[in-house]
Amino acid sequence: MEHDRTIPQWETEDTPVSPARRGFLMLAAASGAAISVGRSAAAFTDVPFAAADLDDDSLIGMYRTILQIRWHERRQADEMLSNPDYRGYNHFYAGQEAVATGVCAALRNSGPREQLDLVYSSHRPSGHAIAKGVDIPKMVAEMDFRATGMNGGYGAEMHISDPDVGFIGADGMIGPAPVIASGSAFAFRARGSDQVAVVFAGDGNYAAPHFHSTLNNAKLLDLPLIYVCENNLYHQYAHYSLSCPHEDIASAAAAYGITAETVDGQDVVQVYNAAKRAVDRARAGNGPTFIEAKTYRYYNHWGAPGAKVGELGAFGYDPLAITHFRPEKELRAWMQRDPVDISRRILADWGVMDAARAAEIEDEVKAEIEAAFEWALSQPLCTPEDGLRHVFAEGTVPARQFG
Amino acid sequence: MAMKSWMYSVLEAVQHEMQEDPAMTWIFELTPPVASNPGRPVINLETEFGRKRVVNTGIDENWMASAVLGAGLAGSKSATYIPYQGACMPFEVIQNVAGKLRSMTGGKASMPVVWIIEMTGQTPGFGGQHSCYEEDSYYMHIPGVRTVIPSTPYDAKGLMHAAIRSPDPVVYLYPAGLRTLTEDVPDEAYEVPLDKAAVRIEGSDLTIVSSGAGMPVALEAAETLAGEGASVEVIDLRVLKEMDTETIVNSVAKTKRLLTVDQSYYTLCPGAEVIARAVENVDGVKVKRVAFPDAPPPASPEMFLWMRPGPQQVVEAARAIL
Repeated sequence: MEHDRTIPQWETEDTPVSPARRGFLMLAAASGAAISVGRSAAAFTDVPFAAADLDDDSLIGMYRTILQIRWHERRQADEMLSNPDYRGYNHFYAGQEAVATGVCAALRNSGPREQLDLVYSSHRPSGHAIAKGVDIPKMVAEMDFRATGMNGGYGAEMHISDPDVGFIGADGMIGPAPVIASGSAFAFRARGSDQVAVVFAGDGNYAAPHFHSTLNNAKLLDLPLIYVCENNLYHQYAHYSLSCPHEDIASAAAAYGITAETVDGQDVVQVYNAAKRAVDRARAGNGPTFIEAKTYRYYNHWGAPGAKVGELGAFGYDPLAITHFRPEKELRAWMQRDPVDISRRILADWGVMDAARAAEIEDEVKAEIEAAFEWALSQPLCTPEDGLRHVFAEGTVPARQFG
Repeated sequence: MAMKSWMYSVLEAVQHEMQEDPAMTWIFELTPPVASNPGRPVINLETEFGRKRVVNTGIDENWMASAVLGAGLAGSKSATYIPYQGACMPFEVIQNVAGKLRSMTGGKASMPVVWIIEMTGQTPGFGGQHSCYEEDSYYMHIPGVRTVIPSTPYDAKGLMHAAIRSPDPVVYLYPAGLRTLTEDVPDEAYEVPLDKAAVRIEGSDLTIVSSGAGMPVALEAAETLAGEGASVEVIDLRVLKEMDTETIVNSVAKTKRLLTVDQSYYTLCPGAEVIARAVENVDGVKVKRVAFPDAPPPASPEMFLWMRPGPQQVVEAARAIL
């Protein structure tokens, strides 16, 4: 991946490389494992440190997370297409899994609340949520408005939230989340914490005035903020060139004096490496980072129940996309660089897992997701009167709909 | 005259005004200014008037709202369609600039501008942020900005003509739940006045006042009550600023009973203002106010549908004062 010219060169010689990992790779190459030397060498060159130093469990964990996100959506899409009683909807993340996975793998996702790194998500949140470690069955229940869902059925897909894992949550609006995330980063800095705040925002967020406000203040105050711009080329139905004059949105961030880089968002290792550098920088008190991940969503802007296979592409083409919609060839070209395939191949190349183990993990994930849906869709619906709760910390507000 | 959908009627008005005035501009975001109607030519403002006059921007409602104001100050009529996703993001420029500018300039500011602000709240499951029927209360509070809220395709077209031609800035609220309505709408240009409520049904026992997305609910309830022998008068406010006090007072003076119906939150819903004006001017009025509770709309359809005022709740509230 060519780096943007605005990106400072990394001082790779300062970076410790795990002897274990290096030794392992040398061994794998020497033993003529069932991988091409060329690909191995290329992968190694691309990944001088960071991900290459992760232990096997962490690497496999990333592969597993990517699969969880993918199969959650595949399973949910099936539900939308086949179950007339299913009511959940989603702004699908399929195709972008490596971004959430790579970033969150570099974060602190468990432990005491006051030490967790925080993630602010967008209106396309389920991938971020899963990568941050939310309880998948409870998320599935929330997305179908169940009383025992992650947020009691109050939020649904666009407002899922679980502060226990540092997932501040989804936001249905374009604009505010990055600025709010910078406020969390401000608080971390003020109280001397080494926590970092991460915001995932799409290419559509570039045009909002909040973009300027976020980056300007993050730089002025040296905030431990990581702005992950997921450039999937389209905000809703409009290509990002209609709202941004730059080919790389990262070049706009660089104008604020913020360290900015573009990464291949389909490659979890590249994303992880960029995130790791950003996290290290933020924890060390060296301020914000902007990461633009070039990526693509396979499905349409959103998916809802009642879709029919073959009609409207079943989440492909959308009737609202009157003047702008995606060329089929573009979609197919991006699918050739699928984040699941890429992560599987890298881990195979590194000798971390073989094809049999990869398939086994995928079967485990499918079973896990299946169990999540079975549990979630058997959960109770909400009690109507509970709609008057959670307005304030205590009590209920009066019913007014009866006069 | 032909059966026309809501959006076709609105864009017909805009198309006419843009043909009449080559300086007029239109700014949109994600919703292309396109409408079709059986047996009628497709209206596409973007292709008809070109991308110098008709532009879409990034997701930046602040720019959209500010840009039309700036166009107005420069002497061009201008309108923008702000979808529900960001319907209050332009609030500052409308409330603290446009609303006060005529006064602050001693009457010198030119503001022939229209902000079409979409409202949703009809869809169970959309959750808090995508349910925003409360915006009527926010915008109707602003002095210096006319705020209208049509509830029929006929009024939608006529109010759009009037809004574009008005020298005052106009917030044109569009309850998206009404997008499926169709009715006979004239082909030619006409105005619906920016200061008149409409009496939809005449009656003598009870006055029901509603607006926008509350109107189908009020009309359905009135039909049920009529079936029970009650003579119900139904008023569609159409205009929230400046509210048509005369029509309300004349009706309530006759019926002595007033029920307001809003999809907005209870506190400061349009009905609260209607009741205040009625009891200020008419003695001995029995009143009731049906509105959404002062709670963000929950996503769960079970909770949401129980909280949203429907025809049955309106009928029961009416019975309590009849």
